[in-house]
Amino acid sequence: MQELQKLYDRIVQRANINLRELEFDVNPYVQNLIPFEQMVKFYAFFGISPHHPLNFQFKHSNLAGSYFLGQCKVTNSLLYKSDIRGDELKRQGDLFQYQNFEIPVSRDEEIDIQDSMLIKTLVHNFSHDPETLEEFFIKNTVAANYANIHGAPSDGSFVGSFATVDITTMRDCVIGNFSYIQAGEIYHLNIAPGTIWVRNPDEFNFMYQHPVEALNEYIFFKAGIAPRGIFIDFVEDRKEAFQRVFDVVNIEHVTPVPSSASLDRYAVNKPPTHIGENVLVSQRAYLQNAWLGKGANAQENCYIINSRLEGYNVTAHGAKIIGAELGTNVFVGFNSFLRGAAGKGLTIGKDSIIMPHTIIDIRTPLTIPEGHLVWGMIKCKEDLDRHSIPIEDFSKVNSSLTMGNMFFEGDGGSFVGAFQDRIHHILEANGAFFNGSEKKGHAQKNQYISFNTLQPYPEGKNKGLYPTIVIKP
Amino acid sequence: MHYIVKNLMVPISDYATISEGSTLLDAVLSLESSRVDVGNTIYPHWIVLVMNSQNKVIGKLSQINILRALEPENGHADMLQKLRNFGFSPGFITILREGSIPAEKSLEDIYTDPQIMNMKVEDFMRKIEKNDFIDENTPLTTAAHQMSVRKRLSMLVTKEGEVVGVLRLSDVFTAVINAMKTTQFGSYDHDE
Repeated sequence: MQELQKLYDRIVQRANINLRELEFDVNPYVQNLIPFEQMVKFYAFFGISPHHPLNFQFKHSNLAGSYFLGQCKVTNSLLYKSDIRGDELKRQGDLFQYQNFEIPVSRDEEIDIQDSMLIKTLVHNFSHDPETLEEFFIKNTVAANYANIHGAPSDGSFVGSFATVDITTMRDCVIGNFSYIQAGEIYHLNIAPGTIWVRNPDEFNFMYQHPVEALNEYIFFKAGIAPRGIFIDFVEDRKEAFQRVFDVVNIEHVTPVPSSASLDRYAVNKPPTHIGENVLVSQRAYLQNAWLGKGANAQENCYIINSRLEGYNVTAHGAKIIGAELGTNVFVGFNSFLRGAAGKGLTIGKDSIIMPHTIIDIRTPLTIPEGHLVWGMIKCKEDLDRHSIPIEDFSKVNSSLTMGNMFFEGDGGSFVGAFQDRIHHILEANGAFFNGSEKKGHAQKNQYISFNTLQPYPEGKNKGLYPTIVIKP
Repeated sequence: MHYIVKNLMVPISDYATISEGSTLLDAVLSLESSRVDVGNTIYPHWIVLVMNSQNKVIGKLSQINILRALEPENGHADMLQKLRNFGFSPGFITILREGSIPAEKSLEDIYTDPQIMNMKVEDFMRKIEKNDFIDENTPLTTAAHQMSVRKRLSMLVTKEGEVVGVLRLSDVFTAVINAMKTTQFGSYDHDE
């Protein structure tokens, strides 16, 4: 294990050098988070299919329990139970639109992970940085449990537990637990836990701050204290079900799956469940007594329990829906936690947008009317009134709006339009609009994936390290 | 005239001082008395120096520091700072700040909160920084430049490392404009 220890020390040092201006030390956060023995126990695996590029290079790294798809290079890194999905990367010849520029992509884009430690982290989408179109880099970065690095090149940063950085390039930043950042480009920022920030310069700026004490009940993680709280308890309680799907070689789901839909073999499926046409259920998703109508999806680390999704619902990475009924076209953003009262307590009307990192945790039934924008922390009807607004009204905002801890400046119509366009794009990419011959997306392409496993050295000084491996067609 | 800093500084013994641990009310009264005891200068003193138990200057208190301390708590204080860092416009932040002060409240209502009156000076003073100091032998031209780029209304004057006085922007400015007038009009007598 000496090499593993050296690798860990190297990564921590490199991250700390980048974060010295913020006086942030990543070591006490991660030093005991994953015992090295754990890093030897789990195999890594990768998918191959006729629909995805195949180009992997793993060197001097540990990849325990991690999944790879597409085009990816990992060097001098520790990846623990992380998902590196390179199935939305740009291809050579694509044209990337940035402001008034149309920039040609000169070669296939690659996810390039160097000198980084990712713990139960999702990496997906593509680099939105116009300066590094062919390289979605993650360097000198440490990401903690259930972080999402989504189209977000990163250098010298720390991403807290359940935090998401979305289509944003970050350098030398600390992203607090459960923060959601979509801001284009950020440098040298230390962002407090529970910050929701969506900014498009010259168009709009949205910020919400979760109440810190209340948030700590859901996720609390600081130097020397491992992540804990309701979110962690929730996933830990369901860990065993995942153990089974990873241990069994040939797994057959009993739920009928239409030919236009896919239910990943690394998802947990606890009947009764219904999978409609064009439904996508990704690896590490969890279904239990769940009804998914046409075009709905459950992405990585999503949990849908005792719930019904009427159709064309996006359940973004890490979102959890328990005891809820969602109308058509309801969007539930990254890592949101929606928990109804016992029984079917939460109803969300069609075309509503639940902002990323929203918490709705109710004791009595609650109905969100159709066409609403919802954010923040909601535990009762009064909270809902303070943390939601009809999308139509929000679209009319042309200067600013403040509601409690939510601050908005700019063009509301532009903000809503950006969200709606993105939701449409996600549904399209997921294959929700597949018509039997055209508009294929992940739901159709992911049916034909085979999985292969990789193992590390079991003993000796290289124990835990994976040998250098290059995988190509 | 080739002034150096010590030609224009106000000796520290002429300045109002207050001890660390004093209250906001003490500071207000001290600032008031410093304005009365102006001595022979045409500009009154607008700051009070905060001293620690070793008689070292650790902070400065000006009218603006006190007004800021008196600002009613609005729950948005930390958030306003954050909004500034995160790209919200100054106009938006001003609207938020002004909107947080209830229009129906009088000056007396807002500014007599006992909790605020008993705040310790170290909670709202401007802490002394390394670039707040200037040596007494520094040429005035250098001093004027430093005050300009460092945005200082006053600097602490040192002699062999000890604070011996205060250099005020008002005195530096007067010297500068007198030099300008002398250059333009020859020897200038302001009584003419």
